[in-house]
Amino acid sequence: MSQRIGIVSPVRNNTASHTLSRSQRISNGVSIVAVMALVIWGCGGSGPEGEPNEMVLHHILSARIRGLDPGQIRDVYSMMVAGQIFETLYDYHFLKRPYELIPLLAEDMPQVSEDGLVYSIRIKKGVRFQDDVCFSFDKLRMVSKVEPVGGKGRELKAEDFVFSIKRIANIKYLSPSWSLFDDRIVGLDEFREYTKAPDRNIRGEGEVDYSRAVEGLITSDDYTLVIKLKKPWPQMVASILADISTAPMAKEAVSYYGKDIVSHPVGTGPFKLNVWRRGSYIELVRNPTFRGELYPSEGEAGDAEAGYLEDAGKPIPFADRVVWTMIEERQPAWLLFLQGKVDATVVPKDNYGEVMMENGQLTDRMRQLNIQLKSFEDPSTYWLGFNMADDVVGRNKPLRLAINRAIDREKFIELFFNGRHLVAHGFIPPMMGCYNPQIKQKGYARYDPDEAKRLLKEAEGIYGEKIPTLKIAIPGVDTWARQYGQFLTRQLNAIGLEVELQYMDLPTYQQKVNNKSVQIFAGGVTANIPDELDFLSLFYSRYAAGGPNKFNYSNPEFDRLYEKVEVMRDCLERRELCRRMEVMVLEDCPAAFLNHRVADVLHHDWYKNYKPHSFAYGLSKYRRIDLSRRAAYKELLNASR
Amino acid sequence: MSEQSMKIEIDSRFSILDARRVSSIQYRVSSMVCFVVITAYFVLAGFIYVAEFFDLKIGPTLWPEQVGESYAPPSRENILGTDIFGQSVLRKTLYGAKISITVALCASLISIAIGVPVGAIGGYFRGFVDEIIVWIYSTLSSVPYILLILAFAVVLRERTVFGHKLTGITAVYLAIGLTSWVGICRLIRGEVIKHKDRDYILAAISYGCSRRRIIFRHILPNVIHLVIIDFSLRFVSFIHAEVILSFLGLGETDRPSWGAMINDARIELSRGVWWQMAAATAAIFVISLALNIFGDALRDSLDPKLRIL
Amino acid sequence: MYAIPIVVGVLLLTFTLFVVVGGDISVEIAGRGATQQTIEEIRAEYGLNKPLFLSRDSQFVNHFKNALTFNFGRARDGELVFDKIKRGLWPSLALTVPIFLGVVIISVSLSLVIAFVRGTVWDIAAVVLCVAGMSIPYLSFILFGQYFLAYKWGLFPVFFSPDLSMAGNVALPVLIGIAAGLGGNVRFYRTVMLDEMGSDYVRTAFAKGLSRRRVLFKHVLKNAMVPIITRVVGAIPFLFLGSLLLERFFGIPGLGYLMVEAIGSRDYFVISAMTYISAILFVAFNLVMDICYLLVDPRIRLE
Repeated sequence: MSQRIGIVSPVRNNTASHTLSRSQRISNGVSIVAVMALVIWGCGGSGPEGEPNEMVLHHILSARIRGLDPGQIRDVYSMMVAGQIFETLYDYHFLKRPYELIPLLAEDMPQVSEDGLVYSIRIKKGVRFQDDVCFSFDKLRMVSKVEPVGGKGRELKAEDFVFSIKRIANIKYLSPSWSLFDDRIVGLDEFREYTKAPDRNIRGEGEVDYSRAVEGLITSDDYTLVIKLKKPWPQMVASILADISTAPMAKEAVSYYGKDIVSHPVGTGPFKLNVWRRGSYIELVRNPTFRGELYPSEGEAGDAEAGYLEDAGKPIPFADRVVWTMIEERQPAWLLFLQGKVDATVVPKDNYGEVMMENGQLTDRMRQLNIQLKSFEDPSTYWLGFNMADDVVGRNKPLRLAINRAIDREKFIELFFNGRHLVAHGFIPPMMGCYNPQIKQKGYARYDPDEAKRLLKEAEGIYGEKIPTLKIAIPGVDTWARQYGQFLTRQLNAIGLEVELQYMDLPTYQQKVNNKSVQIFAGGVTANIPDELDFLSLFYSRYAAGGPNKFNYSNPEFDRLYEKVEVMRDCLERRELCRRMEVMVLEDCPAAFLNHRVADVLHHDWYKNYKPHSFAYGLSKYRRIDLSRRAAYKELLNASR
Repeated sequence: MSEQSMKIEIDSRFSILDARRVSSIQYRVSSMVCFVVITAYFVLAGFIYVAEFFDLKIGPTLWPEQVGESYAPPSRENILGTDIFGQSVLRKTLYGAKISITVALCASLISIAIGVPVGAIGGYFRGFVDEIIVWIYSTLSSVPYILLILAFAVVLRERTVFGHKLTGITAVYLAIGLTSWVGICRLIRGEVIKHKDRDYILAAISYGCSRRRIIFRHILPNVIHLVIIDFSLRFVSFIHAEVILSFLGLGETDRPSWGAMINDARIELSRGVWWQMAAATAAIFVISLALNIFGDALRDSLDPKLRIL
Repeated sequence: MYAIPIVVGVLLLTFTLFVVVGGDISVEIAGRGATQQTIEEIRAEYGLNKPLFLSRDSQFVNHFKNALTFNFGRARDGELVFDKIKRGLWPSLALTVPIFLGVVIISVSLSLVIAFVRGTVWDIAAVVLCVAGMSIPYLSFILFGQYFLAYKWGLFPVFFSPDLSMAGNVALPVLIGIAAGLGGNVRFYRTVMLDEMGSDYVRTAFAKGLSRRRVLFKHVLKNAMVPIITRVVGAIPFLFLGSLLLERFFGIPGLGYLMVEAIGSRDYFVISAMTYISAILFVAFNLVMDICYLLVDPRIRLE
């Protein structure tokens, strides 16, 4: 049908017309792109080039850090970073298990009075804050508008600890850590009242008079801190003195930086902040004026064989820089790890097949690359909680029991955690001292859909009619959350319950839970201190409004025992009481406890001295890189492709 | 006939690439095929609604049933494989049509219901009313699309309208519809302005036709073809919008949807599970292609000025 | 012309959004267990206790004043919004501008080529490819691109690294962005070209005996410029928003995620600042568009 006309007309430069021919347009386009490329290439900021022999630790953050102001930090990631910059009075021994507290900024363990109410702590002498501009800044310069330079870090005094604590008590400061100190230290609550004072017209947090005395926080001399408690608190050292919130703050830094203190941390630790590109990466460098510490020479049995004592007695930190890159997506994080650009990572849920075989051993590929796997139990428990104040679930124990029976924990762990986590038969994880090895036999977590159906009938009898659609609140809108929700739907539908899932982001979820406007909610907790109180406090009725007791559970007998256990030191009697309390709660079933987490961490073989620790954060100082092994990795990777 | 031969004469001078030219018959056939495909999707969606209403358990409504192992690859029993719970990906894909068609349809209807009258009124009356209307849609255009959708969806999420609680996906339809009326409004307004000064309208005015009658009885029928064309093309973009919103966490959560299946791929692909994403992508591709070709064909036949072939 | 009312409209819009959304803010910031008094104090600090509209010191007036002076306030995490935007602007632009240019140049050229071969099998094939390109999720492009081009074949870095220049870091995302963006754009420009090709004057030109190439470039392209300019220039104001997915997967520290996160965490100041900026840019580029129309087609007068 169509005929061919042979000649293609040659391109003519239509200079007469004011449109460009195609080739002209294309060449214009190409030159524009080329110029842009050159511009971009030239202007791009390049980061500090590391010396070839520099030791740099690379980690990944999978969420943003909030800030580096110790009084404001409560999230894990911020603690991980800030923990290298700030130090506290006490900290956990790196290697010893069971976990043991040792003095860090303190000279020795505190002297406690007979009644357990007064703690005397001696501070180490000669500890300096890092060098920072804020120390050379004074009111005179402020007037003369001279830019301050230099700034030698001043020596640490006991007063600095008092300042940190008062700051947290200042209501205008809005510290999320206040709940740790609430109703504990003599005079501190009154100080907090003072900061609320409406008649004093206090505008900003800076206008609070911090020199106002607090009876329970005294510095008898420059290097001695005395704390007076309202009632005995055996876990005090772990709860606050080893917690980042009591890291000493320099008044100079706070007054110099004001609100910007979140990005200008001034600490006493082995590292200091170098670059923080928010949302992208954060880099710490070695603190040149660090007082110096030594790598521990003792550990627990098996540490020597594992290689953890190779560096015993050597001065730390080893690393020159520590870098955290923020990567929120799984694929790039995993690929970077495989490339050797990142030293350690948690095994991503969907890469288990690549990493581990059925028996939990590493695959050949991992072995070829000399990647190491460290698994450790997390002191955590996850649950499907019930709001005991809710009309439908709160008053209907058979309903709660039915739901409890309807969830197949093993399948849950199989599907979502590759079978790695532990079934939670109770809510106290195996790591805790009072853990009852017999708890499994009691069968609280038994999967029994038939019994669940029977219990449901009983529940309907109590309720009067068919149970209405239950609402489950889930903190998260991503794929994982959805799959979790679908799993619950399937399990509950199977026994005849209708559910409605409500997915929400974390802040909304927390708000709803605190407002008691949820019916059933998915949550979990990880212990901050090696003491079962963190788990028992979940059921203490006084903590119901806005505190850890999200279930609004109230049991006077439990409360009585809690108050007893609260002030006891760890001993057999206490453990016995804790077990009784656990059973009490399990009988009432304010939640279906699902699993205790087991963390699987992979790291390259050049990353030395990585021993999993469940409580301490400032551990980068112990890590060492074997530079020659790292350099050799690239060939190893190419060989294995 | 002479037109036909003239066409051939002109075209034959330029078939330089000697490519096989698609004849108009082939073109028409393919457009009909596309129409059939589109209808098929709608019928599927409708079928699912009916089946759910009557609680029938066949085909796609049986999607929660476990038919195989978790993440089983495509095989003879399960043509498209299974997902994490062993549910059939084939059934999920079919079910997903319901969600996508519903979202696209509702959003299209909302945007037409708002955009056409508003554009017509602005175009016809001009003056102050028109100024306000242009101001409103210009303001909305200047705000980034994503922000608008997200903001609407977040704000609408918790509200109740007429006593009926807005669940996530309903808020999404509304959000998309409420932000997309701008395009159709502009289009209609432009056309109404053009038509307003034409003779036939002047004639209608001269013999005392009411304004409302003029707009609805005379002008709109002449511009309605644009609405149809626009509808067919926008439909595709609404289906894609559902996918994007799923990514942002605003999509359908309890039931299978193509957007959710694609979003899950983020983690599934790293363990080599490609079939969910492939299935949803293929489903979207087919309907997008059908709508595109059909939309072009519609344009050809409804607007005499344009002839592609 | 419409410049000022639009900006005012945007401010009104963001203000309304805040009023609807903002009630929760003071409670959220105060945190749990806060007393009513703390909440009141926060309200005072954010100026929430002032009347909405009517007084001279009303919230709306303040909102307006702040916008005019580019005082965007602080985001939820304490950083100045202005700093956040300043920081993220360059990486986002380094990503979106090359993608934009690449897509425009390639798709306009390709659409002309396709118009060249209209009605043939190649045309249909092009349509199919375009639709395929549009239907394949952006996610797929990214996942495959990152896995194969960066990791497996090592041609590009997998993720952002401060040690590399910006060009090195955005090379792969730009490539992926262009590839993913071609589908929809080529389809659009093809439609535009074909619209023009169906016009009478084109038929006349062919009848006069002009070569196809000449007709295309001299006549069709010129007349198609109006919709092309509308689309191209209309897309420019939104370039500063960055590309959500690309930035997330490749770690480019731009503004891409800023908006999404801000909405999720009800970070009003960030949302309002970015909307305001986009409104200003939109208005500015609308003016540019009008100027371009004048240049391209003297028949168009300012309406």
